[in-house]
Amino acid sequence: MKEMKHIVDTTLRDGEQSPGIVLRTEDKVKIAKFLDELGVYEIEAGVPCLGAIEEESICKIKENTKQAKISVWSRMRPEDIKKSLVCQPDIIHIGTPVSYIQIYSKLKKNKVWVQKQILECVAIAKSNNVDITVGLEDASRSDIGFVLSLIKELSREGVNTIRLADTVGILTPNRTKEIVETIKENSDVKIEMHVHNDLGMAVANSIIGAKAGADFIDITLFGIGERTGNCNFYDFIKASDSIFEFAMTKKQIREVEKQVYEELRGAM
Amino acid sequence: MIQIIDNTLTTFDYCLPTKEELQVFCELLFDIGVDIIELSVDAYERMEQIINGKKFALHVEFLEMADLFPGFYRYICHSEEPKDNVINEIQINDAREIVRLKSLQKCSEVRIVGLDDLICKSYDKTMAEIKQSVPKSKINFCPENAYGCASALAVQWVMMGGCYVTTSFAGCKNNAATEEVIMALRLALRHKPNRDLSMLPRLVQLFEKITNTTIGNKKPVIGKNIFKVESGIHADGIQKNPANYEAYDPKSVGGIAEIVIGKHSGMKAIQYKLQELKIPLPNEAVMEKMVAFVKETCTEKKSSLKDEEFRQLVHEVIANERNETYR
Repeated sequence: MKEMKHIVDTTLRDGEQSPGIVLRTEDKVKIAKFLDELGVYEIEAGVPCLGAIEEESICKIKENTKQAKISVWSRMRPEDIKKSLVCQPDIIHIGTPVSYIQIYSKLKKNKVWVQKQILECVAIAKSNNVDITVGLEDASRSDIGFVLSLIKELSREGVNTIRLADTVGILTPNRTKEIVETIKENSDVKIEMHVHNDLGMAVANSIIGAKAGADFIDITLFGIGERTGNCNFYDFIKASDSIFEFAMTKKQIREVEKQVYEELRGAM
Repeated sequence: MIQIIDNTLTTFDYCLPTKEELQVFCELLFDIGVDIIELSVDAYERMEQIINGKKFALHVEFLEMADLFPGFYRYICHSEEPKDNVINEIQINDAREIVRLKSLQKCSEVRIVGLDDLICKSYDKTMAEIKQSVPKSKINFCPENAYGCASALAVQWVMMGGCYVTTSFAGCKNNAATEEVIMALRLALRHKPNRDLSMLPRLVQLFEKITNTTIGNKKPVIGKNIFKVESGIHADGIQKNPANYEAYDPKSVGGIAEIVIGKHSGMKAIQYKLQELKIPLPNEAVMEKMVAFVKETCTEKKSSLKDEEFRQLVHEVIANERNETYR
């Protein structure tokens, strides 16, 4: 029997960050309804701190979907978590830079600050009874020792799913396998693979991650997203449905692509 | 030593490139780090001559044809018969067919084409089995791309000590993309054979002209839009240090990082764009109005703003501000 893997769609968040498109509330709701019917496990619906229009979109998506969990993306800031709570999502995903380059050069902070800040954000969300996933941003360029110690702290605070983000898309198959296996060997957290296609390896690395034990795979319709995009939904299912069980078929994904092509073509 | 054969020039037979175009295309391929260029007989006849001092392989239908075209570094032929300077090619579609390699044990060089779903199998075990099946042969791996995993497989083969792969530019022959493999090896193995990847835009232009096709905007390494960023968090991160969100310097592949103003642009992205366009920065209150107006305008028109559109929007916001001040 094939192992079941869950799909997390981030077309409406990472996909929409692609220059060239803007999705209105009605577009987002339309796409989310198709994804929901398709059997996507989680729809990352947007970023509440972007403003009122985004908030409204997320709330409407929540109203118009039946099965999929609706998640929102939040920076690792207490004020952003509070804005996310307004949308009453099923999951708040907190993006947490973990590579030294991002911690020291982008945030201009240090590891201790990151750990303290993420735990504070987790506590705020937990006290409001919202599920949390934590995104280990730029995990592919991080120090695995720091990642493991952070995961340990997060697990202690009740976080049971982490997103392994290959933010700049530099993973190779072996490195993907090594990171996922190391985390699985050292913790009980569930892993969500989030890879970018900068070296044309997003599909391959997602498959390797899933084979190594990741339960959730992040994808976007048509593979849209920052720079070269994310893991392409159709391509991923086509390449791996011989070894994994999914809630949808590649034919059904093609049908959805036809329905939403106009809304998303600016990002291709 | 890592060696890459590029077989793009076996796919141009249906096009009508000139001799000069083919020669420039070859020069550019060598510039970006290709070691051996594989030609079809048609492409060779159109080129008339190959570049002196460079390695070319000729793809022939029958082994006997090799004698008709002397002077090549290698001849590539779908054959089991061993012959000097020949790379014997075999199509293997499934890992279970690896046993067929035994028929090529006497060949000095073997090319394996296919195995497109290997990533879903025990690829490391299969790659080791391949090496054991033809222990005395130099093995060239040319994974096919039916499942979008060819570049990953080619890189994996090299990382496991295979060192010899066949690719094509932009993956046009349904195999690994030359530029993706070269860049991945550069990043993962620091393999830098002193080549110049800034030639890639010229190669793209020539490829598009010869094939009358267009490379996708988001195509890894060579797509026209891959260094454009809109999201506020990314734009800010790139300005602080490009390495925050770029795996490699866009200039190294002849590209340029560009901030696009759109729905996701925040205060910092807009500040950067104003500076880039040499527009004086307004005060914070006006900046906030500008951010809101950008979001509203982009949502309304359902796209990002071109620089000229942004410039116009800035003038509108500033003009409105002045009107309110002097009212």
